[in-house]
Amino acid sequence: MIAEVIESKTDQFVAETVKYHEIPGFGSFVKVQDGTRRIYGIVSGAYTGSLDGSGKARAFFKSLQELELEQPQIFSLLRTEFTAVVAGYLEAGIYRSYYPPVHIRLHLPVERCTDEEVLKISTNTGFLIKTLNCPNGNGDELTAAALRTVAILHDNPKEYLLNAGRELLKMLSYDTQRLKSVIERVDIL
Amino acid sequence: MKGTILRGSLSGGFDIRLDIGEEIEKIKVGTFCIVEGRTYDFLAMVMDEDIEAANPKAIYETSHTSSLLNEIVKGTGILDKVKIQPMLAIDREDGRVMPVKSIPSHLSKVREAAENDVFAVFGNPDDTNFHIGYPLDMEHIPVCINLERFIERSNGIFGKSGTGKTFYTRIMLCGMIKSGLCNTLVFDMHSEYGWEGKDEDKTRKKAKGLKQLFGAEVAIFTLDPESSRRRGVRPDYVVEIPYRSIDAEDIAMVWEELNLNQTALEVIFVLQKHFAADWLFKFLNMPASEILSFAEETGSHSGALQALQRKLIKLQKLPFIKENPVDDAVERIMQYIDNGMNVVLEFGHQRSMLAYMLVANILTRRIHELYVMRSEKALSNETIVNTPLVIVIEEAHKFLNRETGRQSIFGMIAREMRKNNVTLLVVDQRPSEIDSEVLSQLGTKIIALLTEEKDIDSVLSGANHAKMLKNVLATLDTKQQALILGHAVPMPVVIRTRTYGEDFYNDMQTGNTKISGFKGNVNKRATESGNNVQGKDFEDLMKELYGT
Repeated sequence: MIAEVIESKTDQFVAETVKYHEIPGFGSFVKVQDGTRRIYGIVSGAYTGSLDGSGKARAFFKSLQELELEQPQIFSLLRTEFTAVVAGYLEAGIYRSYYPPVHIRLHLPVERCTDEEVLKISTNTGFLIKTLNCPNGNGDELTAAALRTVAILHDNPKEYLLNAGRELLKMLSYDTQRLKSVIERVDIL
Repeated sequence: MKGTILRGSLSGGFDIRLDIGEEIEKIKVGTFCIVEGRTYDFLAMVMDEDIEAANPKAIYETSHTSSLLNEIVKGTGILDKVKIQPMLAIDREDGRVMPVKSIPSHLSKVREAAENDVFAVFGNPDDTNFHIGYPLDMEHIPVCINLERFIERSNGIFGKSGTGKTFYTRIMLCGMIKSGLCNTLVFDMHSEYGWEGKDEDKTRKKAKGLKQLFGAEVAIFTLDPESSRRRGVRPDYVVEIPYRSIDAEDIAMVWEELNLNQTALEVIFVLQKHFAADWLFKFLNMPASEILSFAEETGSHSGALQALQRKLIKLQKLPFIKENPVDDAVERIMQYIDNGMNVVLEFGHQRSMLAYMLVANILTRRIHELYVMRSEKALSNETIVNTPLVIVIEEAHKFLNRETGRQSIFGMIAREMRKNNVTLLVVDQRPSEIDSEVLSQLGTKIIALLTEEKDIDSVLSGANHAKMLKNVLATLDTKQQALILGHAVPMPVVIRTRTYGEDFYNDMQTGNTKISGFKGNVNKRATESGNNVQGKDFEDLMKELYGT
């Protein structure tokens, strides 16, 4: 368990991490087991702030090492939460790249996906439309990050990117300029 | 070639979107492809190719520095498109070949035509289904031309000079002679059909003539025995034309060569009316005083008569025009033709347009008259054999231009089609000069590369999908490639013609037209349609003959 669901919608959920500095990477894949259903999400943004939601953390103008020695307590007053867009779900052994009928329940544990799971999800390029339409408004950035995460796991990353790029182009209504902005950020080759 | 139907119409052809990974560079205009519809396979021809962007901006925006991006966009955002025109529909269940009357639906699959597809349409070579060449990029599939249909109408072989018109003509002549379906009469202006001709191929140098290939089936007539002898040809007959057989119409045909004006032509008809058959000889030998009295008598202008006489003296310089020749050339030609032979008339050094047109016109006019009589007789008496005659003329635009084409005997033959069993094979490099009415009557056209816009337009006028074929025509190679369309082929086809060399000679001489290289199944469809009887093997024939 790396986090716990604290907010849930049909298209995305928010989870608070167990440790404030142990956060799944932007564009990485996470999962939540909700009964018989396993919901997969793609991390689409994160926020770290004061544990007390009403106040902001103060600036101390010291290095992190100095702070850890002099004021170790302040770190335990921090919390991190991240959002993840729902990519699809697994039920009865079948993966579906669309939203589950019911959004996830709160307080369920969130885990990182294994490489095998990411491979399975990414075989179908359906997740790209979710990342593109990310409610956070950073769709292009998220899509590129997700592609970076996914492509290196495939045997032939270039081939994978070619196919995904073609699908993406259709999703973008053949807007090559936008495709370019996404693909240029996938610099894994 | 693999792709799917993107859009299109029956009249305008279809756009094919090539599958990703297909190389448009490898697809040549003029090649065949198959559109796999639900019920029919559509045999289509590639007419044009182009590049289209789903989003027009894409063409300009794609970065050349990112190869990945370029690869993604190629085939999705920017499409390689091939324009095709369906020519025939083949019923997948019973193999029937029929004209296209419906269109395949969107996303129907398109693939390269396989051997069997082409074979099913053009059939197996035999004596009447003459193997003339190969489809582009399918060098082992014979494309056949149906000779029975070919000789039903007048036909044309066109192409600018140096594209091999003479070779196509030779090949077609060989096919016709070998089939025995018709007799041929060739007005051989440059003396290249009868005996050896020049071959521009450096390894072969010489091309065999018809006499060398078919021996006794071909007779060489000559207008210039000296020239024939110098070339080592032993002509069967030396043609001499009597003055008596030259008609006013024959002179009218060569008015340009003799530099005659309209008044002169009118005077000629007056002369013929006055002196009957001997008009030319009498007029040429008429002293000045007689010309004056003749002018007075007929109300003609004496100056015009004298000028005409001076111009007609050119005819006296033609050595083959004689006052009293020993023999009648026309009768002799008919005799040979009646014996089932084919006649090649060599002009030797007499290759001026004047000599060529005059002789061709005189002989054809009389031969045509005989054929008209004969076909009338054949109508009443079924036992009379009336083998069709194909007359080959070169520089056809001189005979069939707008001014003379309509009245001349050649225009008449072209228009009346097979009625009297005489048809033309016109060979020409300027089809735009030929009367459009005559052009439209030509049944089958074999067209090599033409570059003049006017020529292309006129040669394709009246053809289905002319606009698209224009593109095909403009992309032909200068040698050994031709577009065949019309009556004798089921659909227009671009071919690489057979090489007029040893293999071809052997085929012509052995009587076996089966293609040695092709081992495909003899297609059921083709054999069932009746125009495709495969020749017997040599061994089978031997067994039949000798029972061993």
